[in-house]
Amino acid sequence: MNVEVKGKLSSASKADDETIIEVRNIRKVFAVNQTSLTVFDGLSYKVKRGAFLSVIGPSGCGKSTLLKLISGLEAPTGGEVFFNGRKINGPPKGMIYVFQQYTKSIFPWRTVLQNIRFGLDSQKSLPSREAHEKCMEYVKLVGLEGYENYYPYQLSGGMQQRVVIARALICEPDVLLMDEPFSAVDAMTRAILQELILKIWSTLPITVLFVTHDVDEAVFLSNRIVSLGRAPATVREDVEIDLAYPRDQIRTRGEERFNAFRQRLFSSIFLQEKEGIPNA
Amino acid sequence: MAKRWPGFLLIALLLLAWEVASLNKWIDPVTFPPVSKIATSWWPAIAGGEIMRQMLPSLWRIFAGFALAVVVAIPLGLIMGTVPIIYRLLEPITEFVRPIPSSAYIPVAILVLGIGNEMKIFVVFLACLFPILLNTYGGVRGVDPVLIDTGRTFGISRLKALRQIILPAALPSIMTGMRISLGIALIVAVVAEMIAGSSGIGYYILDMQRIFRVPEMFAGIFTLGVLGFLINFCFLKVEGHFLKWRGTSVET
Repeated sequence: MNVEVKGKLSSASKADDETIIEVRNIRKVFAVNQTSLTVFDGLSYKVKRGAFLSVIGPSGCGKSTLLKLISGLEAPTGGEVFFNGRKINGPPKGMIYVFQQYTKSIFPWRTVLQNIRFGLDSQKSLPSREAHEKCMEYVKLVGLEGYENYYPYQLSGGMQQRVVIARALICEPDVLLMDEPFSAVDAMTRAILQELILKIWSTLPITVLFVTHDVDEAVFLSNRIVSLGRAPATVREDVEIDLAYPRDQIRTRGEERFNAFRQRLFSSIFLQEKEGIPNA
Repeated sequence: MAKRWPGFLLIALLLLAWEVASLNKWIDPVTFPPVSKIATSWWPAIAGGEIMRQMLPSLWRIFAGFALAVVVAIPLGLIMGTVPIIYRLLEPITEFVRPIPSSAYIPVAILVLGIGNEMKIFVVFLACLFPILLNTYGGVRGVDPVLIDTGRTFGISRLKALRQIILPAALPSIMTGMRISLGIALIVAVVAEMIAGSSGIGYYILDMQRIFRVPEMFAGIFTLGVLGFLINFCFLKVEGHFLKWRGTSVET
């Protein structure tokens, strides 16, 4: 068991090394026009160190909001988020958020190398030669050798997303928060980037929280999937995906158990999605 | 440059038409002397250094006023764009003062600063200030929230975010403001020189008109045309260098 699920009201938990992130009884209310929208009303959850956890759910259920709350970019209306046992109050060190809109998150005035350098410089200052070598290491990790001096406008979408990922990874974060990072690239590029992120996750001591609307993607990548219900969202399903790593786009997707997981999670979301649409 | 030859051809044809019309007295040759005559009086004015002598004070006024405006407007615009209370404090007054044509300040400036360089630099400064200021805070306020949040997730300080994210993201807009200002600087400097003073290309044009040396007057006007073209050309080069990452800047 990688992740422990708590009920609606979590008891005060003792700090343990296994848990890297804990969401405790969070509430999040948005003001929409004159009314208010309650996205979370007392959600609790623990993420185990080293997990590849995907969060799925029907559209508008608050998947991305959950990630924003964990990242500290947004504050909850109530409740707390703990990272390494410490309550967070704003974006903590050791956690990097990878935005869905990579074209808006990449720095267009910096080359590939300079974008990655931004990540490094934000964490520590190294002598320039050493810093350059380290940046080149990450250029290679994401397979962009030869493109290090290109500006973003000269790159394809998939390459830009690689830059954004490398810029995050060079910070050597404990946690990578990814909000539908591959939803805006074409299918083949997505498949390649999925393998890349799995390779990175298995080589680095890193916990990945991955939000996606794509059930196949979640099953392929994760060792644990949380399926949220409609707002105010609760954990509807919490499934351990015990397919063997390393996973392979062709072989893993052909496995019977892959399809069983996919089927189960897909139908759970699809039925909720249908309930939400009148006359569907 | 190569693709612009039809435009240059049109200029040449218009000048030729002017020449012919003036020689044949289709237009008044006293008010519109033939282009050849303008050119023959232009050349000695350039070679004799007269144009240069008049141009240098004008250039000094333009660039001093412009530089002052850049130095004041960009930091002020950055502060207005990032600190909401300052924005709410200064935005209304900016919107009120901005529409007043800067030449309207010349009489006031003469009262306070006299008719020397100070007055002209001040008026150019004032005219250049608003386009840069507006485009700076507009650019800053238009920076995508994702870019701001990117800075936050990497945990960089507000000052660093200002320098490394907000300033470069707003740079295209700031550059636009600067380009608009440069054009206005030329206009305002010439107007100020015509109203008061005894030097500069604006003064020269008016002086030549008063003593009825019409070809020299036109020579001065043409000089302004060339000057404006060169300033814009140089600015586009500079802008292209700073914004080469956009990949859209057209080679001039």
